[in-house]
Amino acid sequence: MGKHFKYLFFSFIILNVQTYLSPLISIKQISPDLLLIWIVYIALKEGQFTGIIWGFVIGLMFDLSGGLFIGLAAMTKTIAGFLAGYFHGENKAPLTLGSYRFVLIILLVSLVHSVIYFVLFTRGSDIGFWKAIFQYGVATSFYTSAVSLLPMFIFGRKYLT
Amino acid sequence: MQRLVDILLAFKEYVILTFLIIISIILLNSNDNSQIRAIRSYTVGFVGAVQDLISIVPNVFALKRENEILRQLSVNLSDEVNRLREARLENMQLREMLKLKEKSQFKLVAGEIVGKSFLLLRNTITLNIGETDGVVPDMPIISEVGLVGKVIAVSGHYSVGQIMLNKDFRASSKIQRNRVDGIISWDGGETVNLENISKTQDVREGDVVTTSEYSTIFPSEIKIGYVSKISERQGSLFRAIDIMPVVDFASLEQVFVITAKVDSERVALEKKVMPKK
Repeated sequence: MGKHFKYLFFSFIILNVQTYLSPLISIKQISPDLLLIWIVYIALKEGQFTGIIWGFVIGLMFDLSGGLFIGLAAMTKTIAGFLAGYFHGENKAPLTLGSYRFVLIILLVSLVHSVIYFVLFTRGSDIGFWKAIFQYGVATSFYTSAVSLLPMFIFGRKYLT
Repeated sequence: MQRLVDILLAFKEYVILTFLIIISIILLNSNDNSQIRAIRSYTVGFVGAVQDLISIVPNVFALKRENEILRQLSVNLSDEVNRLREARLENMQLREMLKLKEKSQFKLVAGEIVGKSFLLLRNTITLNIGETDGVVPDMPIISEVGLVGKVIAVSGHYSVGQIMLNKDFRASSKIQRNRVDGIISWDGGETVNLENISKTQDVREGDVVTTSEYSTIFPSEIKIGYVSKISERQGSLFRAIDIMPVVDFASLEQVFVITAKVDSERVALEKKVMPKK
């Protein structure tokens, strides 16, 4: 139970960082999705079921903080938690988190997540389908994967040394 | 129940994923702006596609109900077709009768056969026209193809006709080709007899037989039938000649009564000079 409070606490922290810090590090309106990295971490550590639930909770928190599309991030991050959970294995989390495998999982999950998110997010606007996929979806995925190198090194030092 | 719980637990990841996605979609649909409206249209399209996929699986109860409705429809349509066919046949028959009425020199009253009595050798028909229509006994009954019989009894709105296939029926007749006279009678069977034709007369199979001028009841030139069989009678001066009537009495439905009055002066004179029976 305690670890879930820990997850909730860190979710709030990361949500705030995402909200206030991301605009500062955004490149041409593309920001890394820190919440997604957090969800993948939870799913790899706890498994698919927990990953799905925390994906939904964190996504909903993001939706409520933004207030634009309530339900959209909840849905895409639920899917992200589900996908990341596939790579969960008993006692394998430290190995995965501290290696490039973690970055590749982030890239894969982020690609699916961002493509769905931005395709739906940009509907009804002037941004076309392919632009939504490549300029926002794919670019955000690579940026998120690049940022995930930092926690990978931290986990590597923590678990592998 | 336990089994269902076991199944749900075995697939708990998929169950929770589906559940949370549905919640997300419901939340999304509760928003109201142009982008959400666009997303909502995708959701509707997706749900429609899923329903379309599900509809491939036949719904047994719906099929049963549909089958019942189609069966009922089939019965109704079949009934409708029968009635239309009936109306078409009646229409054709009435058209033929109308043609006859237009070209006929006599005053004709159209009637419908409402009853047929084919008992032994005294066959009659009942018509739905009577005295109020100007019908009196001894008036000829014809159809669009030829002679049917004559009226033998009338009431206000009905009349009874004696048809050719009646052992009491007689009609003066002639062979159209060579004006050889005879008398039509019937003693059972499908054909009528042409009596009083001597062996020396020229009669051939296929000759047309009509009513003759000698009849006080029937106008002349009404077609009766065709010579269908000629046979020699042993020890007789006359031939046995079978006539196939042109009227199909079995399917007869509509007839005309010729409301020509009997020439009473002629009848009276003939009665005066002819010896009493």
